[in-house]
Amino acid sequence: MFIQQIINGLTLGSVYSLIALGYTMVYGILEFINFAHGEIYMIGAYLGIIFLTFFTAVGLTTSNIYLSLFLTMILTIAFCCAYGYLIERVGYRPLRYAPRLSPLISAIGISIFLQNFVMFTQGATDKVIRVEALDGFVSVWGINLSYLQVAILTVSFVVMIGLNLFVNKTKIGTAMRATAQDKIMASLVGIDINMIISLVFVVGAGLASVAGVMVAGYYGLVNYHIGYIAGLKAFTAAVLGGIGSIQGAMIGGLILGIVETLGSAYVSSDYKDVYAFLILIVVLLIKPTGLLGQRIEDKI
Amino acid sequence: MRVWLCLILSFLILLFGCKAKEDTIKIGVAAPLSGSIAKMGNDFKNGITIAVEEWNSKGGIKGKKIELLIEDDANDPKQAVTVANKLVNLGVTAVIGHFTSSCSMAASEVYHKANVPVINASSTNPQLTQRGHKNIFRICGRDDLQGMVAAMFINSQLNAKRVAIIHDKTTYGQGLADEFKKNIKPPAEVVYYGGITQGEKDFKSVLTTIKSLNPDVLYFGGIYPEGGLITRQARELGITASFISGDALTDVKFVEIAGERAAEGSYITFSPDFTKSDSAKAFLQKYKAKYGEPGPYSVYAYDAANIILKAISESPDTKGSSIIDTMRKSTFTGVLSQYRFDEKGDVTHMPYVVWKITGGKYIEYWKP
Repeated sequence: MFIQQIINGLTLGSVYSLIALGYTMVYGILEFINFAHGEIYMIGAYLGIIFLTFFTAVGLTTSNIYLSLFLTMILTIAFCCAYGYLIERVGYRPLRYAPRLSPLISAIGISIFLQNFVMFTQGATDKVIRVEALDGFVSVWGINLSYLQVAILTVSFVVMIGLNLFVNKTKIGTAMRATAQDKIMASLVGIDINMIISLVFVVGAGLASVAGVMVAGYYGLVNYHIGYIAGLKAFTAAVLGGIGSIQGAMIGGLILGIVETLGSAYVSSDYKDVYAFLILIVVLLIKPTGLLGQRIEDKI
Repeated sequence: MRVWLCLILSFLILLFGCKAKEDTIKIGVAAPLSGSIAKMGNDFKNGITIAVEEWNSKGGIKGKKIELLIEDDANDPKQAVTVANKLVNLGVTAVIGHFTSSCSMAASEVYHKANVPVINASSTNPQLTQRGHKNIFRICGRDDLQGMVAAMFINSQLNAKRVAIIHDKTTYGQGLADEFKKNIKPPAEVVYYGGITQGEKDFKSVLTTIKSLNPDVLYFGGIYPEGGLITRQARELGITASFISGDALTDVKFVEIAGERAAEGSYITFSPDFTKSDSAKAFLQKYKAKYGEPGPYSVYAYDAANIILKAISESPDTKGSSIIDTMRKSTFTGVLSQYRFDEKGDVTHMPYVVWKITGGKYIEYWKP
């Protein structure tokens, strides 16, 4: 049973991690919190349902479920990346050199806009999706692992390892890290800052949309305000791991998921949200920068 | 000078605006029209709209047309209080609503102070009518009765031994769960009692704990989005306990969310099947023609609207106190049953039976 709980926690936590990465990457480069990030996750969930319903309607899901799911995922990521790019282009780039509060307000505005946009176009009621073929589970040593749990764990870990390699081993990744360290210096050595910042938003949105699609399939229930709670939890995960640190966000999300799950399993489920914030406070008291965060020296 | 002219003009417009509306009887409707239970709120509103249209087509009340002021409380108690203040300030004669107990309780203080008659069609928390507010009436049952019927059912019909209870920490959900817990008799015993958070999607940790306790009955006090997810995740984890819950799960969305296979055999306490009576058929026909399939509370809303409108038409004037007196004295015939109100403002008949989900459909199953 303990192992079952750990797996429940890891599933929940890996979703938090995926969303948290978007928060942390944007913070790393622009030092501001993109509060509209949770909405990208919500839009991803909706798009996932829309595309999957479409592929089911044309008969692809019944003939080749893997292709159908794969296409759903790819299309959703593509659309959400476009959303991510647009948000940055419209909401944040014009405010790049404005006082720091301005983009924050802009972010809240975008968040409200996107929520209401989705409510208006998709309706206020819950959307339900059911993929019968994915309903089964595998039993190993008395532990029930549903197919979707396996899928969520595998996909998130693959995506996170991929992101790590991308940031640390590729040229663009190096440019991203350089921009995070010092924007002016990076631009002097020929890095296109605007391109890199857009890219960070696009990658963050892509990761959130992966989480959105998987959650839509896993719980089978989506509404226009799921982005709020998920965004809040993911933000907590990012701060817990040390905001600005990519590995930090991954670890923060997993810890958050496991703490919530174990807390509600062994102490009391009434206070599920309390455990998450309790551990956040404790970590911040001991290490104000978060688990893996680094103190940002004041730039002269 | 021009500024003054504008100001005076705008005041005049405001005055005319008020004057033009004096000729109607204003009825406030407060329901969750957005948010996670917006569907139920809209079904509720539609039932009222039909009743008011019928009255208006017959010429209204005392020569005046009835005007509905529909407000969205978003199933948020804070919003409910705001809405209540707004309705009172707009000078409503009576209010129908709110939908959930949390909202009704929060808003009731505002209506009480203004002595506006309120008729409630769907909030089942006992406390609502237990605080001596003379202006509050309710036509649906109460959670203590609902919890009692559920407890009687698992004791006598399911021969339950080990009972697990989950609630969603709301006034409604926890109230239901508490009443259920209180009425369980040996040999059945409660092996788990705990809360979850409304709006969450993942209940696997609670359910894994429950699974290890090996219950034969799982009771849920809450509404259908969480109810559906809990049923589904419980079956995924291999929990075989009978699932039983309250009236907020009588919505086809519950079966959709849970999946037909997981929802199969779930029990729900709700009012008796009314669809067979003639007066109900007329209402249902009208509703379906206009809005499609009615929700579980559409007909309650319809009855509530008819009762309050009848009370207004029978009372000597449209003052709150005289309508309240009329409500207490009269008997009303509705689609669901005959209504009489007791001192507290509750109905005098027994309003609950147990339903079972069979093949994705709700079927009346057991009468206490």
